[in-house]
Amino acid sequence: MSSEMKRRAILMFMHDRPGVLNKISMLIRKKMYNVDTLTVCSAKAPGTSRMTMTLRENDDAKVQQVIRQLEKFIEVISAKELDRELSYWREVAILKIDAERSTLDNLAPKYNFEILDQLKSDTSIVQVVGASQHIDDFMEEVGLEHIVEVARTGVTAIEQ
Amino acid sequence: MTGKELVIKALKEKNVRYVFGYTGGAIMPIFDEMEKRQAFTFIMSRHEQGAAFMAQGVSRASLTNDEPQIGVCMTTSGPGAMNLVTAVADAHMDSVPIIAITGQVATGVIATDAFQESDVVGVMMPITKETYMPLAVEEVESTIHEAFYIAETGRRGPVVIDIPKDVQQKEADDNYSFNLKTFKPNLPGFFYHPSPERDLIHRAIQMINSSDQPVIFCGHGVIDSKAGALLQEFAEKANIPVAFTLHGLSAMPVDHPLSLGMMGMHGTVEANRVIMESDLIIAFGMRFDDRVTGKLAEYAAGADVIHVEIDPSEIDKNVATSVAINADAGRTLHVLLNDPELTSRPRLKWFSQIDEFRQEMKADLEKELAAGVGSGGKLLMKTIIHKLSELTKGQDNIIPDVGQHQMIAARFYNFQKNNTWFTSGGAGTMGCSLPMAIGVKLARPDERVWSISGDGGFQMNIQELGTIMEQKLDVKIIILNNGYLGMVRQWQTLFFDGRYAGTPMLSPDFGQIASAYGIPYQKIDAVDNIEAGLKAAIDQEGPIVLEFVCDPTEIVLPMIPSGGGFNDMIIRRPEPLTDKKKENKGNK
Repeated sequence: MSSEMKRRAILMFMHDRPGVLNKISMLIRKKMYNVDTLTVCSAKAPGTSRMTMTLRENDDAKVQQVIRQLEKFIEVISAKELDRELSYWREVAILKIDAERSTLDNLAPKYNFEILDQLKSDTSIVQVVGASQHIDDFMEEVGLEHIVEVARTGVTAIEQ
Repeated sequence: MTGKELVIKALKEKNVRYVFGYTGGAIMPIFDEMEKRQAFTFIMSRHEQGAAFMAQGVSRASLTNDEPQIGVCMTTSGPGAMNLVTAVADAHMDSVPIIAITGQVATGVIATDAFQESDVVGVMMPITKETYMPLAVEEVESTIHEAFYIAETGRRGPVVIDIPKDVQQKEADDNYSFNLKTFKPNLPGFFYHPSPERDLIHRAIQMINSSDQPVIFCGHGVIDSKAGALLQEFAEKANIPVAFTLHGLSAMPVDHPLSLGMMGMHGTVEANRVIMESDLIIAFGMRFDDRVTGKLAEYAAGADVIHVEIDPSEIDKNVATSVAINADAGRTLHVLLNDPELTSRPRLKWFSQIDEFRQEMKADLEKELAAGVGSGGKLLMKTIIHKLSELTKGQDNIIPDVGQHQMIAARFYNFQKNNTWFTSGGAGTMGCSLPMAIGVKLARPDERVWSISGDGGFQMNIQELGTIMEQKLDVKIIILNNGYLGMVRQWQTLFFDGRYAGTPMLSPDFGQIASAYGIPYQKIDAVDNIEAGLKAAIDQEGPIVLEFVCDPTEIVLPMIPSGGGFNDMIIRRPEPLTDKKKENKGNK
């Protein structure tokens, strides 16, 4: 059911203090938000972090509630929903793939990936960068049966 | 200076008069320093939960004093801190500013599961406005000042500061300095909007002026922003009836002609009917919790909502608003009152409808109040509270516990004075009354203070009689003893076929208990003695325990069943309950 829900992204800037990440994860649990991904990094301003959260929710009012609850934290400087049309959402995936090298080579024109390592003739470590859908499509085309392991960063995003 | 000295210095600078608490290994250095400095009065509770409720009492009651105080409690690490949890969570639910300072094991052993080590920050984080653990002496003073600032700014709330023992003992750096005058907390993410926006006020006034059937909601935020008188003025000027949340009670005289009394699950029938019929709700400083709204899908379906609330996360949380004013209730009332566009309308039809609602239960209630006893001949709580209200002219401070007697006190005490009703609303913590009353008494030494409990709640913090004894505090204690956990019993009567699971309760001889603490005691079991007993308490200098033998079958009406809508409101006792039970069984 959750896959039918609209994916939304919230961008947040927070004052770097101990426990702030803990608070946010507690809020997600307490309020039972349907969170997909959470990425955190340092922001440009010193002492500030930026966090991108994606969640599945069709109800605009609920997303507003999430934002207000986040902003309520003393450490959170700002939180807003990103307009999908006016922002870029990207993630990185690193995959261990059991497939003929030629299979990968055939995908090269269509997908933005890089072979980081060739472990055996038919085992490669591959890095794919792009929108979540791009990575999903890539994985589908490789075939899940050929994917040994996958590591995805979760979405990070920036506004136009 | 050492960490412990800086703690005392900072508390002194915040004009702290009382510290409530209980010592132990990890807080000993600060207690020692407190003893040396004699900077404020230390009051030892008999359980840490009591200390936090006492701190709540000080914060709640002194809010409207000339010099508001923030209640402070102090305990040791581990169990000492964990025993605070319930009362801190309670303060968080009811937006009460308290500062809890807990000792923590030394930084060298933190995270080794040291003796009496608990993850205080981790436990307290979801139930506080903010938590701190200063890891260096140089952070102690600024942390305490920041904690006070956060606790009392915007929507108030509790703040916990967990101070490792070595940080308490260490000397600050030679070049450490702190200037309170120039100190400004570095909180880029902490802001609130006290003032309402002009265009929203304009829209609100247009809606108010054109409404035929408006109602004002008075919540805790009105008392918190010291705006009871302004709310009354606004209601009078615009000619709009006022319904109160549990925490909004005592913001203005509850027998004012425009007052509808309390709303919600056990609110008055008139308040609840008015809400269902209204076309406009103007809500000040409240959060539309489930006890106020009942089933949301059916709630006030015909009404637009103007919601004035300092905490933006409460707006549109449960009830969708037409005009959301994220601002301080008092400032908004001030702006509304001074707007020349605000008009008064007679609304004769509305008020005559309201008069009809007022009659709906009046005769029943008057009959019960006059009888004073239930079918078994035992006293009705409502008669006792009604009598107390008459004798004290609605002027006293009332601190109920949680349960039937709390709802009855909310309904039958005729509050005349601003901020004289102190109750655990959001959390509904049994046992809060006795310790909270101690805090209220200390904040208002010249006023009369009543702690009213059931037999269940009274025994949850009964040990604080020791604090009353030791501090010689004049707290009038009423126990409404019906031998049951009355509110749960009421639900069992109405919704669980009268099976009283876990509610009958054998109590000790409260007379002997009182006597052991050197507190006078009276037991009242006849209607004719209610007045004499209460008068004895009023005349008594110092504390007294009055035990009333109450009717276990009394039920608080009206009642909106949990999860039900206002149309499901029960206004008459389903009689006879036992027969109904049999019928239900027969149908199966």
